[in-house]
Amino acid sequence: MTRRLSLNRFMPGTRQRTVAGIGAAVVALALVGTACSPVEQAGSDSSSSSQSTAGQDVFGTAADAAQVKQGGTLTVALSADPDKLDPTLSRSLYSRYVFHTMCEKLYDLGPDAKLVPQLATALPTISADGLSLTIPLKQGVKFADGGTFDSNAVKISLNRDLTLAGSARKSELGPITSIETPDPKTVVIKLSKPFAPLTAALADRAGMVLSPAAVAKLGANFSNAPVCVGPFKFASRVAQNSIKVVKDPQYYDAAKVHLDAIEYRIITDSSIRSANLKSGDAQVADSLSTQDAPTLQKDDSVSVLQSQSLGYQGLTINIGNANGLGNPLKSLGTPIAKDPRVRQALALSIDRDALVKSLFGGLNTVACSPVSPKSEFTSDAAQACPAHDPAKAKQLLADAGVPTPYKVEMVTSNNPDSLRLAQALQGMVKEGGFDLVIKPVEYAALLDQQDRGDFELLQLGWSGRVDPDANIFSFVATTGSQNVSGYSSPDVDKLLTDARQSTDQAERVKLYGEVVAKLQQDDPIIYMYRQRNLTGVSKKLLGIQVYPDGVIRTAFAGFAK
Amino acid sequence: MRRYLLNRLWQSLVTLVLATIVVFVGVRALPGDPALALAGEERDPESLRAIRQQYGLDQSWLVQFWKFVSHAARGDLGESIRTGTPVRSMILSALPVTIELSVLAIVIASVIGVGAGVLAAVRRGGPAEWAANGLALLGLSVPHFWLGLMAILYLSVALGLFPASGFVPFFTNPVANLHHLILPAVILGTGLAAVIMRQTRSSMLDALSADYIRTAEAKGLPPKAVIGKHALRNSLIVVVTIVGLQLGALISGAVVTERIFALPGFGKLTVDAVFQRDYPVIQAVVLVTATAYIVINLLVDLLYSVIDPRIRVRGEA
Repeated sequence: MTRRLSLNRFMPGTRQRTVAGIGAAVVALALVGTACSPVEQAGSDSSSSSQSTAGQDVFGTAADAAQVKQGGTLTVALSADPDKLDPTLSRSLYSRYVFHTMCEKLYDLGPDAKLVPQLATALPTISADGLSLTIPLKQGVKFADGGTFDSNAVKISLNRDLTLAGSARKSELGPITSIETPDPKTVVIKLSKPFAPLTAALADRAGMVLSPAAVAKLGANFSNAPVCVGPFKFASRVAQNSIKVVKDPQYYDAAKVHLDAIEYRIITDSSIRSANLKSGDAQVADSLSTQDAPTLQKDDSVSVLQSQSLGYQGLTINIGNANGLGNPLKSLGTPIAKDPRVRQALALSIDRDALVKSLFGGLNTVACSPVSPKSEFTSDAAQACPAHDPAKAKQLLADAGVPTPYKVEMVTSNNPDSLRLAQALQGMVKEGGFDLVIKPVEYAALLDQQDRGDFELLQLGWSGRVDPDANIFSFVATTGSQNVSGYSSPDVDKLLTDARQSTDQAERVKLYGEVVAKLQQDDPIIYMYRQRNLTGVSKKLLGIQVYPDGVIRTAFAGFAK
Repeated sequence: MRRYLLNRLWQSLVTLVLATIVVFVGVRALPGDPALALAGEERDPESLRAIRQQYGLDQSWLVQFWKFVSHAARGDLGESIRTGTPVRSMILSALPVTIELSVLAIVIASVIGVGAGVLAAVRRGGPAEWAANGLALLGLSVPHFWLGLMAILYLSVALGLFPASGFVPFFTNPVANLHHLILPAVILGTGLAAVIMRQTRSSMLDALSADYIRTAEAKGLPPKAVIGKHALRNSLIVVVTIVGLQLGALISGAVVTERIFALPGFGKLTVDAVFQRDYPVIQAVVLVTATAYIVINLLVDLLYSVIDPRIRVRGEA
């Protein structure tokens, strides 16, 4: 009888509607739930894996050809899925890991963060007025599809960067008026205004040269079968899971390439990436967590490469972004938005040394400015750092007439590392007279709130670029495309524009030092620490290198004999 | 039977349309959009505008919905905003992985669950029942994520018995394929095995105390035949229902399991698409999932009538 009862409970009709209804509800809930559930940040290396013992970079060394064997497939565990494999359209940091094996650039970055020629033969010759760059090109280079690399191919790629709908490269390239090709081995770029960051841009995705035949054939769908010049060529991609590249025999330096293939496997959880590294299922893993790194460093079969990021982690204060990004500036009207003394007080309440030591086990470096000490543009002025002083912070709050504890809300990403940081900050700033309320949200929601100006304080980082302009201008210039603080200072604008247009390095160094001094008075962004990219590498593998741009160099690696 | 079937199909269609609308609106009600998620840290208002325009995100919801539905009706599910890959091919490559994983999980869960359930019912009150109940409690309460991590740490890293990640298609290398899938399938099947065990146990207990079993025993049938042929067969109907009902739980479990073991399956596809606000992928995935739900429920109902002819008779009445 009981059996009959249980049968009735699951009678067709009612049950089916219920199940389908539950199904729809579960999916809907899952969707809504994302607004407040943990997630690894995609497309940004901010927060997590922020790292390592002060000043000790371990870049890895190039492979000694005598010690490596030919062949084998390298598996790299990547923390996030790259977006489109199209250098013009790509925006995610992770696509650069894959591009470096199959799309060489006009220039590359050396371990010392200095620019070196890659598909060019020398650094560009810049005319006296700064309006013309002449780039000499390598000869005898073939694309993976057999086409010849020449100045015309460079011109087609650069024009595509400048004109393709949705191009992420246009703003990086600056005020280019024309691209000329006097002969197959020379490209001349003409500018309407001098634009110093251009060469550095050509050492990133804007400098990648696409096969003109593939561009003609695939157009905007280039990412489905990308073809460039590189040690490896694209083989296959399983969406959100893996990308495979295989050795290109046509590559001009093919003798230096030891591996047969590289497979990038997307594993978003950092502890599972570490486990894959230890089990040998992957031989390289990026963005190790600061919690896993010490254990891996003790592991005999694994070494940990470290490179300090050119970016930073900071707190953005909403000063004039009440209307949302891209709209006329409007003050939020709160004491912290109106009075720089309140912002200075907040900056003084943060004990960066303690933060780096307690939260990341000393695996990190303090940052007080957007200029990395590893940058060619650093100076004493750019590295000046006001000392932690909660008493002075309280005094400043009193001067500003703000009753303490002063309550401020901070929006932060809801991944575990960001939350730990937020809680540490909460405890710290209490001493300086602040009551910090943490508002955790999911990454995409965080970006949305940031652009709408729906925040008082916001914790987010920037992964960093070689040229300081790309780390400063967008964020604090009045017209900066990511000026989410809504900051506007004619002095800073002038300094940044002068620095951007100057071709004299010493002059630029001085100008950026002055920018930093001004930023530390106004505090639209409180810079806190600089993350260190931690990469785990199996000791069976030789020749893996990580440079300050954060890109893992796998192309010339090989398995040990 | 035909009228009943037609009625069921009509209900299914309504459910499908409603699910599509709920997801279409729900995903757009989330803060952030594909342009923001795609642009990540490299975004400026101009390129955000360009991305939105390129994918028609600047059009009204009605226009976007009509486009999606009319294209989907022709079998065109659009392309992923993030990677530019056609959604159809993404789903076609992800579905077999999840189906294989789920089938394996169901098989493993059924073998363990039915076996333990029968044992617990037959050896009622003994240590076997205690052990089975304890395991079921563990299976239900331990999250997949933790269990997966432990399995990787101990079985993959320490003992090196199974690969910690990756996937080999069945037709490329069946042995490697099973080697890669067995651990995820066991992890995914744990919850289901526990549910099946408890259901089998309780329905077996009911069945064993029923009159027809006493009759069978009185006729002198050996215990094996009484348990296997009479009691178990009658208890299985509930188990089949449970497997059908648990399919939803299995798919949500697959989301976690696939992420842990980096399997290119449907669950991972779905959850990543949600985080990246990849509207075309989310919509298509939900459409396919809803369709699968409806078809599977229909199949389960049809299976009833195979197992128990009385249902077929009542359905026709």
